[in-house]
Formats: sequence, C-alpha cells, structure tokens
Amino acid sequence: MSSHGSHNDNIQHLYEGDQSKLYSGVLAHHHDVKSAESKAQVAKIWKVTLILSIITIAEVIGGLYLYHYVPKWFINSAFLILTILKSAYIVRVFMHLGDEVKWFKFCVLIPLTLFVWFIIAFLYDGGEWKSFNENNPARYDYHQTK
Amino acid sequence: MSHTTTAPAAPKAFGGGRSPFNVSYGKIMMWFFLLSDAFTFSAFLISYGTTRFFSAVWPDPNHVFNSFPFLGSGYPLMFVSLMTFILILSSVTMVLAVHAGHCNDKQGVVKWLLWTIIGGIAFLSCQAWEWTHLNHQGAWWGSFADITSPKDVYNHFFTPAVLESATPEHLSQSTNNFFNFFFTITGFHGAHVTSGVIFNIMILINTVNGTYERRGHYEMIEKVGLYWHFVDLVWVFVFTCFYLL
Repeated sequence: MSSHGSHNDNIQHLYEGDQSKLYSGVLAHHHDVKSAESKAQVAKIWKVTLILSIITIAEVIGGLYLYHYVPKWFINSAFLILTILKSAYIVRVFMHLGDEVKWFKFCVLIPLTLFVWFIIAFLYDGGEWKSFNENNPARYDYHQTK
Repeated sequence: MSHTTTAPAAPKAFGGGRSPFNVSYGKIMMWFFLLSDAFTFSAFLISYGTTRFFSAVWPDPNHVFNSFPFLGSGYPLMFVSLMTFILILSSVTMVLAVHAGHCNDKQGVVKWLLWTIIGGIAFLSCQAWEWTHLNHQGAWWGSFADITSPKDVYNHFFTPAVLESATPEHLSQSTNNFFNFFFTITGFHGAHVTSGVIFNIMILINTVNGTYERRGHYEMIEKVGLYWHFVDLVWVFVFTCFYLL
C-alpha cells in the first residue's frame, strides 16, 4: 500500500516534462534501421499493402461485373465484409493499435461496436418509411405508382 | 504487509505510478479525437444510408462515376479506384515514416513524409477533377430540385431501365439527396485530407530543422500518422458506401 505513495512524489515532475518515461510504448524500443527487427517490420508493412491492394481490386471487380450475376444481398454483404477487413488491417497494423495494451484497445473499440445498433436501427427506419410511402393511400406516391 | 519486503510483484495496470494504457497523453488524446471524428463521419454515412433506404429509386454509381480524365466516359469506377489506391499508398508511406522515426532515422522520415505529402496532393487533385466533372453535369448542393425538368437531365446518373420507369418526383428527390450527401461527405473528407497535408508539411519542416532529433524521439510523426491513417480509413468506408453498394 504505502509503496504507491512514495512513487507518486517521484514521478510528479514527469507529467510536466518528458512523458516518454511514464510508459514503455513503441517509442521506448529504439532500434537500428538496418536491424533484422526493423526489416521484418517493413516487410510486414508491404505485405499488408499487398493485401489491401488485392482486396480493393476484388471490390472493384465485384462492383463492375459480378453484381450482374450474383444476388444483390450477397454482393453487398461481401462488400461490407471486405470493407471491415480492410479497416481492421489499417487500424491494427498501420495505426499500431495491435501493439497497444488490452485496456486501451477496449477503450477505442467498444464505443465503435455500439454503432452497429445505430446503423441497423436507422436503416430499418428508412425502409419502414419507404413501405409507408408506397402503401399508404393518403400519400401522393401511392396514386402515382398505382 | 510482510510481502512488500519480498520480490516486487508486477505493477497493476490501474495501481498508479504509471500510465495504465502505456501510451503518452498526446497519443491517447489523438486516439480519442479520432474516435469522436469517427462518430461524425458515421452519422453522415448512416443518414446517407437512411435516405437511400427510404428512396424509391437511387442513382447508379456505375453510371455516375464512369469518366476518366483525358479518356472520356465509359470507364466505371476506374478513376475512384485510382484515388483509393493513391490514398492507400500514401498511408503506406506514412507508416514507413513512422517506422523511420522509431529508428531515429531522420533521412528516412524526410523521404517518406515527402512521398506522403505528394500522395495527399495527388488525391486532392483527383477529387477536384471529379467535383468539377460532376458540376459540369449539373450536380451541386441543391441541384436537380426542379421536378418539372425533362428526364434527360438524369441521363448520366441512372440505368436506362430505372430512368424509364421512375416518376419525375422520385428522380428529382433521389438525385438531389444523392448529390447533397456526396458533396457534403466527400467534401468533409477532403477537408480532412487538406488539413492532414498541412500537418504533414509542418512535421516535415520540424524534422528537417532537427526539432525531433533534439527532442530525442519522433512521437509527433506517430500522432500525425494516426490522423493520416484515419483519413485513409474513412475513405475506405466512403468508397464502399458511395461507389460500391
């Protein structure tokens, strides 16, 4: 218990100065550009670049040709899955979220998952309005389409 | 409290004395700013989706976006694929700049930041061309609001079958909504790219002047890098919502 108290006095000045001593994040691991570790990292970056490019090309092929032949719901689900895959690679590797501690990942990712409900609720609402417009005799569109 | 005298246990994440997230204050704040910015962009895209879901007809992206500079029309999705590729590559050069920063490699940071800035400017130029092109076809904020317009004004935006069967009211309403959302969302994204390019130029000047070398670390490159990757991330979603779905 008391060990925390003595720590606090020692680190107080660090909050106003060089913060890099408070954490041991990526910055603390300086390494040489020509080291094997550095080369492996660069190789990983280029590998992810290749994956992102392949996904984009697949999406464009889907958007250009495939949508004539496969059901709309199927191609749209494929687009959404590929989009989420692409964004996961960008966040995990390019933004280094994969290298952060568990607590920090949760702080960023949990609020975003709440959006799933937001999206479903609003799209459903839009769809309801469309069916209301099409099926309600009081609406102008009803007489147009009949 | 006899155990305090034995070998010290690993400190608890929230026990005090260290950052529980193991991240500096500046980086945490950049992440939380980006989280709030993601909410803004998501709200835009969700309202676009809601409007699209309640519309009887909707412009077809393969018709709206089928032109390429100097080649004319008939190249659906090609130009926007090029834009997407430019932005992904500039994200790659940014992550290489961050990596060079980890290695305290000043020359590497300068080189990769320059490439990132070139990529950002190339993307903005492409967007300027696309906006100009669509504007020449009559599209802008609030355009196509007149329901008495003949159907030919929508020729560029719909498949012939949809154009044939849709009512003038539906064509006018959906085209008007589509372009309001298109210019607002790609404009808001373009404003982010513009400020990202400005931040990149600022940190490039600081790197050349040796500011980060004297500071002992290149964390500022990481923070601006996070912002730049986020801009790329948003484009991934804009690309899907406007050009693919």
